[in-house]
Amino acid sequence: MTALKLVPHLVAFFGMATVALRGATRRGMLAGAALAGFLGGAGLAATLTGSVPGEFTYSLLRALLALPFLLLCAVSFAALYLSVGGKLPLARLERVAGWPLTRTLGLLVASAGAGAVAGTRLGGALPLWGWGALAAAAACLALAALLLESRLPATLTTSRAGFIALTVALLLFSASWSTRLDLFAPLTMKVMKFTHDFVHQFFESMLIPDHLFIHSYLWGYIGLLFGKEVGFWGGLVIWFTPVVMVLLAIRLERLPSVGHLRQGAQRRRMLAEAIRARRLRLVLPGIAVLLLAYAVYRSLYPSVEYWDPKPVPVTANAGGEIFLPRKGEIDLMDGKLHKFLYQQGGKTARFFVLLAPSGKLTVDLDACAICKPDGYGQAEGTVLCYYCKTLIPLETVGKPGGCNPVPVEFTEKDDGIHLNGVTLINTWSGTVQSTTRTMEKGK
Amino acid sequence: MNRRRWLLKMMFQALAHRSGRTTLLLAVLAMASSLATALWIVSLSMERRIAEEVRKYGANLVVVPEAARLDVGSGGLNFGSIAEPSYLAQAEVERALTTSGIKAERSLHLRGALRLKNADLPAEGVDFAEIRRLFPWWQVRGAWPAAGEAVLGVDLAARLKLKPGDRIEVSGSTGPLALRVSGTVSTGGEEDGLLFLALPELQQALALGGELSQVRLMVTASGDSLKGAAQALQRQLPKAKVNEVRQTAHTSEGLLAKVKLLMLLVTGVVLISAGSSVTGTMSTTVLERSKEIGLMKAIGGTRLEVLLIFCAEAALLGCAGGIAGYLLGSGIAHFITRTVFAASAEFIPWMAGVSLAVSLFWALLGSVGPMVSVFKLDPVRSLRGE
Amino acid sequence: MSQTTIKTSGLTRSYGDICALKPIDLSVPEGEWLSVMGHSGSGKSTLMNLVGGLDRPSAGSLHVGGQDLSSLSEDGLARFRREYVGIIFQQHHLVPYLSALENVMLSQYFHSVPDEAEARHALERVGLGHRLQNRPGELSGGEQQRVCIARAIINSPKLLLGDEPTGNLDHKSTLMVMELLKELRAEERFTVVMVTHNEEVAAWGDRTIYLADGVLVREERTRP
Repeated sequence: MTALKLVPHLVAFFGMATVALRGATRRGMLAGAALAGFLGGAGLAATLTGSVPGEFTYSLLRALLALPFLLLCAVSFAALYLSVGGKLPLARLERVAGWPLTRTLGLLVASAGAGAVAGTRLGGALPLWGWGALAAAAACLALAALLLESRLPATLTTSRAGFIALTVALLLFSASWSTRLDLFAPLTMKVMKFTHDFVHQFFESMLIPDHLFIHSYLWGYIGLLFGKEVGFWGGLVIWFTPVVMVLLAIRLERLPSVGHLRQGAQRRRMLAEAIRARRLRLVLPGIAVLLLAYAVYRSLYPSVEYWDPKPVPVTANAGGEIFLPRKGEIDLMDGKLHKFLYQQGGKTARFFVLLAPSGKLTVDLDACAICKPDGYGQAEGTVLCYYCKTLIPLETVGKPGGCNPVPVEFTEKDDGIHLNGVTLINTWSGTVQSTTRTMEKGK
Repeated sequence: MNRRRWLLKMMFQALAHRSGRTTLLLAVLAMASSLATALWIVSLSMERRIAEEVRKYGANLVVVPEAARLDVGSGGLNFGSIAEPSYLAQAEVERALTTSGIKAERSLHLRGALRLKNADLPAEGVDFAEIRRLFPWWQVRGAWPAAGEAVLGVDLAARLKLKPGDRIEVSGSTGPLALRVSGTVSTGGEEDGLLFLALPELQQALALGGELSQVRLMVTASGDSLKGAAQALQRQLPKAKVNEVRQTAHTSEGLLAKVKLLMLLVTGVVLISAGSSVTGTMSTTVLERSKEIGLMKAIGGTRLEVLLIFCAEAALLGCAGGIAGYLLGSGIAHFITRTVFAASAEFIPWMAGVSLAVSLFWALLGSVGPMVSVFKLDPVRSLRGE
Repeated sequence: MSQTTIKTSGLTRSYGDICALKPIDLSVPEGEWLSVMGHSGSGKSTLMNLVGGLDRPSAGSLHVGGQDLSSLSEDGLARFRREYVGIIFQQHHLVPYLSALENVMLSQYFHSVPDEAEARHALERVGLGHRLQNRPGELSGGEQQRVCIARAIINSPKLLLGDEPTGNLDHKSTLMVMELLKELRAEERFTVVMVTHNEEVAAWGDRTIYLADGVLVREERTRP
């Protein structure tokens, strides 16, 4: 099972090594660097997750994974700008990028990234022989990459931007297999939040009152800006733009000048070969597009099974107090999410009780202050907002803000949890009303 | 010039050169794909329509008590049968519904007679929330009733000269009952002659606590699964009778099945003949053009490059046939739905994809044989005219 | 002209039991115009097909332009043809639905990329600048043959093969075509192998070989 989990990361590693070997001189050193990077990254990440509990390792890794993406953005901008005839003072950078050492270091870092993603999924519990097996598998793959690369036709050349695009795509693809490292979901979240805040600020600063000047159908369009579609499509655009720019840059590359050739047949031959080579250079970024698309798919439909119990109806006593025993029919202390449903006067509130890793119980609404109240599910170490697919680490559940579940006041006694039904209903109505108001204004 | 553009231009010229054969192939492909498209559109839009109809009809299962029948008369003198009024136990029905696991909207009814000024007044006890869900076509003038209120069928209201807001005093077997008429209802059916009040109130007035005379269910299912649901429920309620109510839906479903079968057969025949006709035409074309193929190979075309030209030609035909087939097929579908079902077909844009796929598939499948001969053709022999 | 364009030794081609070409040793230096004479069935067309990479030898070695043709795959031969050989056919073999210009561009297409200006220039060179857009059916035999020549030379071949290029032409057209070929050869410096049964046409070459029943029977040098 663990071995199966590692397959995508090993595939990513293999792909990186193969691509980096293309057209390289010191092949043995490159393959060694890839192997060392992968194993080092895996070891480091596994130790880190084992020794530093909580979200730290994951947020660190996510940030580190975002860096190559930014690098790709820069590279693709430059590539496109250059291929449409622009001039950039990049001569020194070009020279540095051309060193074999640069390539080796790049591969080392990239495969360390793939290894780190694999490492977080392994955790600290892997026995020594498991590490041995992993090392053996990675070594075999490094050899296989050497072998495969030497078998590929010589005409299949790579451009630097294409090489970077594919490497980054492989990294993101690798990361998308772990819900906590996946970058697409946070990206959509950021985009959503940004538009939300932007529109909010815009209307605040314009001091436009709600309904006086703006017709309801217009509110319908403005309401679109608050939906998760904005986040999704905006995220999609950002996600694919660099690779598409790389593709465009290659496609728009100037063909060689053939004016100096007197013979027509030679001229045409040269052109045809240049076009063919250009088309073959599109292969790498093309694969990158597919990988990124698959990463998006994985992010939208992760194969993780969420723990999502059916809400249990509860009632309040005469004093309006809801009591949940610590160990009744439902064991509140088992570390799992327990959902409850409370009805009063035609109003319903959904909430859950969860034992946080700190050992304290927390009671929260099954909704956050931003999204539609689609509720939460629990996965390994996190809860997930079904609406915006944001992962909230268990450590921060119980704290207000963002897409965290809205905390509810309660008192914990020896026998269990006591909370006030009216407060609960009021909190729910307040939260949910404000979210649905902004979400579906004018509908 | 761009290689791809040149290839396209050459293909168009080749197709135009053999305009008769091109037209024939196009017609065959368009016909095949149009029939497949039409069949699909018709069955899709009819299925949707029938599902709508079933929904609109409301309840599709009715549970009534199995009446103790008593034949009246003897021999040739038959006065029909009379039945003792009998009832369903509400608790039992609810239990049956939960245990059988059927997902259904339900509406509970109790029919009985109340007395109003020494005349019988047919009354029905219902849950108005259920009614609003199940019978959306009820047109209520005035307001839906609250507790202590009732709605009157329009015919009954006219006869009794009552209007919303009036108060009436009816009496059941347990004593008088004061009701306020909150509105009138018109459905065009038997409801127009009934007085409707809340089920518990009628049960109490008639001293029939927990008894029902009819349960209507709307099971979201069609065809066999509805029958299955009816049987499952019947097993749970041995003393009752579960009937399917699906007169309208049933006939159109049957007709649709027949039309579907017919069109499936026709489409099958057309597809097969289209395939063979494409093969035949392509074979003759390739035979005729063998010199051309030989020449292409002689001046340096590799086998795959030459094959690509002919495959692209077939694909071009397939695409054109698919687009024509989609337009034609939508037309046929509209014609069929209008003449046979007296309904209008839906406009389904993604069917263009299906149509294109069918046409392309047949164009390429039909050309497999000829393409093999293109691939194998020996340039020397074909140029010599062998 | 020290290099040899064609070098064969023991070149044999048989179809089943029939031996169309008995072992033949031939060497054609670069730039030579070789005429191949013989009656029909003498094996001259077989020789031409072998040299042009359209057919494979049954036995013996065949080197054209330094390449061993018997070692090339089918597609390798096709690539060899488009790079190295131009062929002029007796029946012209022009594509009927393409104009003269497009027929020339077809050859460019298989070679690399079509280039209309260059194709037009080639047709102007063979004197058909005014008939670019005409289909083969609208051209006379001599004109068709000139389109065929333009198509054969468009990819700058090192070897030009003629399979009775004047077989279907009247005397005047024949002279015109031969004159054209001579001019082009002077410019492009390709090697010519021309199969014919016409003594007069054969006399345009530097050397003539005579085939009978697949055997090289006589060789004659017309020019030093």
